[in-house]
Amino acid sequence: MKTKMKILGLAALGAVAACTALYLTPMGATAQSMMMAAADSQVWDAFGGNQEAQKYSTATQITPDNVKNLKRAWSIHTGDVSSGNKATTWGATPLFANNTVYIGTPRYRAFAVEPDTGKVKWTYSANGNNKPENQGYKNRGVAYWQAAMPESGKTCQKMVYLGTMDGELHGIDADTGKLCTGFGKGGIVDVNAWLKTNSKWKIGLIQPPAVYKDTLILGWAGNDWVYKTANPGTVYGIDARTGALKWTFNIIPEDQLNSTGTANVWAGISVDPATGLAFLPTSSPSPNYYGGDRLKEMPYVTATVAVKAETGEVVWSRQLVHHDIWDVDINSAPTLLDIKKDGQTIPALIQATKMGFLFVLNRNTGEPVYPIEERPVPASDVPGEVASKTQPYVAVPRPTIPDTTPPVSKLADITSFGQCSRWKARLRDEGRYTPPSIRGSISWPATIGGVEWGGGALDPTTNTYVVNSDRAPQVYTLVPRAEANKTYGDALRGKGGYAAQAGSAYGFKLENFLNMWGMPCWEPPYGTLLSYDMNSGKLNWEKPFGQVQKWGFYMPESWGSITIGAPVITKSGLVFIGASMDSRVRAIDLKSGNVLWKAIVDAPAVAQPAVYTYKGKQYVAFAVGGNGILTPRLSDQLVAFALPN
Amino acid sequence: MTQRHTTRGAWLIILGSVMAGAISVYDFFTPETGLIGTGGVELTGIAAGLMFLAALTMALKPVRGSFLQGFLVIAVLLDIIGSSVAGYFLESPVIMAAQALALIGWLMNVIGDAADRSVETDEVEDED
Repeated sequence: MKTKMKILGLAALGAVAACTALYLTPMGATAQSMMMAAADSQVWDAFGGNQEAQKYSTATQITPDNVKNLKRAWSIHTGDVSSGNKATTWGATPLFANNTVYIGTPRYRAFAVEPDTGKVKWTYSANGNNKPENQGYKNRGVAYWQAAMPESGKTCQKMVYLGTMDGELHGIDADTGKLCTGFGKGGIVDVNAWLKTNSKWKIGLIQPPAVYKDTLILGWAGNDWVYKTANPGTVYGIDARTGALKWTFNIIPEDQLNSTGTANVWAGISVDPATGLAFLPTSSPSPNYYGGDRLKEMPYVTATVAVKAETGEVVWSRQLVHHDIWDVDINSAPTLLDIKKDGQTIPALIQATKMGFLFVLNRNTGEPVYPIEERPVPASDVPGEVASKTQPYVAVPRPTIPDTTPPVSKLADITSFGQCSRWKARLRDEGRYTPPSIRGSISWPATIGGVEWGGGALDPTTNTYVVNSDRAPQVYTLVPRAEANKTYGDALRGKGGYAAQAGSAYGFKLENFLNMWGMPCWEPPYGTLLSYDMNSGKLNWEKPFGQVQKWGFYMPESWGSITIGAPVITKSGLVFIGASMDSRVRAIDLKSGNVLWKAIVDAPAVAQPAVYTYKGKQYVAFAVGGNGILTPRLSDQLVAFALPN
Repeated sequence: MTQRHTTRGAWLIILGSVMAGAISVYDFFTPETGLIGTGGVELTGIAAGLMFLAALTMALKPVRGSFLQGFLVIAVLLDIIGSSVAGYFLESPVIMAAQALALIGWLMNVIGDAADRSVETDEVEDED
């Protein structure tokens, strides 16, 4: 008996030792001979990988067969992370250009690091005294420009641009990290100075500008939900060398500036290098959830607008949500592609939206490539509000989310003693475009999307488009002004997700549809990854993506995760993506959607990665910042993965 | 009623609890685990500590009352089950392996104790 027990004990110890070794040993350390990439260096010099926002790399060294061997090549911490009321939100995409990786941080610094080691070449600080004026400490990286014909011996022929949340754009020499004094005033452009109407707050330059030839195209982020009239949305064309203002595009008609504001472009902007058209995704006007004071037509809001990148002149526009009262900004740079359809090649763009639609438009004319229907939608029952009678609907490509709100989760309902179903029964819920109401409405989708600000990625050789999408209903409640004043006084924001919409007839409350334990009240999945063939408009596959992690516990993979950030695609047939609530980054087989590799990073990598090749070696780099909307885990990690030598 | 109980398996339970405790501490403080600062590993760490104390009592205090014996046996089993489930959802193979080890120890202890009781009963019957 004793001998048997000893054997059992030894066997258990062996199993434990094996598991421990598996747990602690870096994944797949087998050395493999690597295929040399065709090019010695493949750049990633724009937020979307290129100005067409395709998020595509021609790199082929990392393949579906060898990706399991991918391991951390280097990792650095910028030191720019904080929590609490000074929480940082870092959704930056690293850029690789000029044989250097460039990135901005949410505490207004730019870093230049060596692409193969992560060793810091230089840092630039845009003044630590800057204070977050409206949306806290946020950054989505930097932009890069270089002169077409560099003048020898002169500095600032290659520049990096860093925005701050108080409206400053800093022009930095890409080689030295010093300010380019010929740019703006001593190297800084004060963009706030150009915006004088209804200036309620300083604008935030979260998103780096797009670059076309020698022009920077710059939008900005605002402080939504708190005012009826606010800074009106503008987009600027700026001389990349001097910082001089070339043009301004005003999104809101001048005669309506007394009743609304914002509708700004806070997301990425894409540019067609062949035609010089810039494509602007515009956001929702203020007040975001009540439109009774802004009933006149505003054709450029919640729209995709094509302007000439060198002049700002509008070429075409298409409104994608009429009379937006859900704050469903058009929130990602359109992805440009050439569609092969019916024997023709159509210059097109894909505009993904928070509503879960993929609008495919001719990028020269704005006309739909796949049909857009105007479908009747529910009317508002709020005094003063007149919701649009119809809204655009796209059946092909299939929407990224269903038309109706997911059913109540039995698990969440039972564990909360029926709280979820009782709550839902009290709310207005008529599916997509259910207007906000005084009794409360389920917004499906809500302001979190659908598709978030990263948009999708495209393989232009096959026109395969991959996009991550959220399934997250939220509860919208309008609070009549008298009641709002009684409960919240003059506060612009308050408990229970309250925002004042000051100056309008209603305040607003946004609540997450969660039970008393914080469990989602709706059936999973909470997020999926989808692949489409854009030549036919057909869905290739859809899979739950990511995992929810709560208190460290991973929920089932079939539940998926809400995601913020975006995928990228490589020519070898891989999709790389962070984005999910768990602190993992993944490689996915483009053909099947199966996860082929995953690695843990310091926090959710709620951004889009960059793929580059340097000295013949391919790297995949992630900014790992976290986002308080998803989980409290934040970080300042910049990490790159590569195949072992 | 106070009786002498076997100490067999107790040291395996102690080993399992030490492993689970150590990996919980490691996970709690290490970003690369994906579990840094999480309540889940706090829970498994506390559970490992309780299991350690219970197993230490089993090992060092073989003469104990039947109530204490029953409490220890049930508490350790519940601890193993709970920690295993936690380890599964934390996706921590080490925590699960530690629980496997503890379970073997627990089985050795329970079976050993039953065997001893059986031998004692036989001896009593022989005397009759």
